[in-house]
Amino acid sequence: MAVYKRRYNSYTGSLTPTWSRFFVLTRFAFADLFKSRFFVLLLILCIIPCLFSAGYIFVANNKTLQLLMQLRSVDFFKVENQYFIVILMGQAWAAFFLNCWVGPVLISGDLTNGALPLFLSRPFSRADYVLGKLAVLGLLLSAITWIPCLLLFGLQSGLAHNGWIWSHLWMVVPIVLCSAIWILTLSLLSLAVSAWVKLRIVATGVIFITFFIPAGLGEMFNHIMGTYWGALLNFSNMFQIIVERGFRDPYTLLDRMSRNEIPIPAAWASLIFVCLLSLVILNARLRARETVRG
Amino acid sequence: MTPTIELDGLEVQLGGRTILHGLTGVLKSRAIGLLGPNGAGKSTLINTLLGFHVPSKGSVRVLGLDSHTSGKALRSLVGYMPENDAFISKMSGVRFVRYMAEISGLPSEQAMERAHEAFVYVGLGEARYRPVGTYSLGMKQLAKLAQAIAHGPKVLILDEPTNGMDPPARKRLIELIREIREASDICLLLSSHLLRDVEETCDEVLILRNGQIASICNLVEERRANRKFLELETIGAEATFTSALEGLGCECAVFTSGRIKVVMPDSVEIREVFKVAADRGVQIRRMNHRRDSLEDIFLNAMEQTGVADGRL
Repeated sequence: MAVYKRRYNSYTGSLTPTWSRFFVLTRFAFADLFKSRFFVLLLILCIIPCLFSAGYIFVANNKTLQLLMQLRSVDFFKVENQYFIVILMGQAWAAFFLNCWVGPVLISGDLTNGALPLFLSRPFSRADYVLGKLAVLGLLLSAITWIPCLLLFGLQSGLAHNGWIWSHLWMVVPIVLCSAIWILTLSLLSLAVSAWVKLRIVATGVIFITFFIPAGLGEMFNHIMGTYWGALLNFSNMFQIIVERGFRDPYTLLDRMSRNEIPIPAAWASLIFVCLLSLVILNARLRARETVRG
Repeated sequence: MTPTIELDGLEVQLGGRTILHGLTGVLKSRAIGLLGPNGAGKSTLINTLLGFHVPSKGSVRVLGLDSHTSGKALRSLVGYMPENDAFISKMSGVRFVRYMAEISGLPSEQAMERAHEAFVYVGLGEARYRPVGTYSLGMKQLAKLAQAIAHGPKVLILDEPTNGMDPPARKRLIELIREIREASDICLLLSSHLLRDVEETCDEVLILRNGQIASICNLVEERRANRKFLELETIGAEATFTSALEGLGCECAVFTSGRIKVVMPDSVEIREVFKVAADRGVQIRRMNHRRDSLEDIFLNAMEQTGVADGRL
């Protein structure tokens, strides 16, 4: 099919491995995302707190600098589990906002003009499709959650002495695990919304509603019924419970009364439920052909 | 030789309704037309071939690959041009085709090269950097064809490819399809309700009606076996004229007012009819020459009651 010959020829060259083709979606989505200046600005804003945190760790481990700055409080410059809870929670919210911008357009663009049958008429399954789109959010949100947290952990380990790394190595697990469940929840939820709602602004609104309306309803339920189980609908609180328990923090940062009685398996179950519900929606929406019943 | 499509009691149910009722048949030609009125089950059959619908009974194989059990292997051979809009509106044409080619497994550089080639080939070279959403309907059809052929499939499935195209664009598209068919060993499955599209591009036709096979017809054989008809209006010695024609091997039927219907064997040319008429002093005032067209075959199939046995 050379241009100058203007005739059709079949393709006889090599093919990429089947397992790697989902990444084509990821690559093309990233190329589209980085064309947007707003997205780049948002990404930079999400990373900036980590740079301040790195500066904090540097000052915390530099006695000379502390003296120069006339900072004498030893407790203020303590890099322990609570420090990482604050960093991780902050980055989790940054991930939420970034996800609200990126997620809603990932699938809706393909569904709007019926491009999905073109993907699925190739040796490419619905699972590959979801995996490719999930990888976009997975990589992006990783870049602002567990990866910078681990880098900060590494920085602290390098600057601190006296075997700090060995006594705190266990924190690597909650950093990765807590980030993973948050990223998975956010990504699947926004993909499900993207598969359902075509307009970006509406889809972003739906993601906000999904997080804040059930939380409000849960609080109402708690007040009316005199219970605490309504907090299960507050997904960000459930994530915070997972983070605090994961980091073995005995002093929770927020109000303990409403959340303390929720067992940690219930908090995990709450987020896993959101993931499963999102998968059900994706399964219903991502079809090459719609079947009209009746 | 492996048949192109084998239908083995294929039944497909959608939303509680049976759409395809136990289709059985073998299609061996390289270019197969899928005909039928609206709602006959053409698109459902194509979607089943692509693995979008799971058969409730029976099976369908394309080039020996079962659509359900070897779906991925089958789809790796297929290029599909859907009936409805199917594009990503904000992408430029060439990027869209490259994207689809990469998903089919072409490495990035080859995908880009083939995308450009496919776009130039279908005649959209000038518009390849424009977003697909800004294309006219005809251009979108061509872009869909480009994405279907960019990865060099072995089976090209075209669902109503000339939908919404003006006559020159339709003619160009049909020419392209014929070129693609003739330039390679590609198998073609073309679904259309336009008989002319199928007649011009296909060798074999599967006619569906109400989810059943109304007919499977090999157009090549049909054309070969198809007899030529002459409808004549004559003045003069009819009896000697018809007996002379019968002497050439023609079958004649004489009607009132000098009207004669002549069924001609392939070996007899029309000029011989004129020669016989001149020798016998017969004036031919009117002559109508025709063959059985696909339209006749289609209408015959539609008129039949019940399920056809696969032949006209």
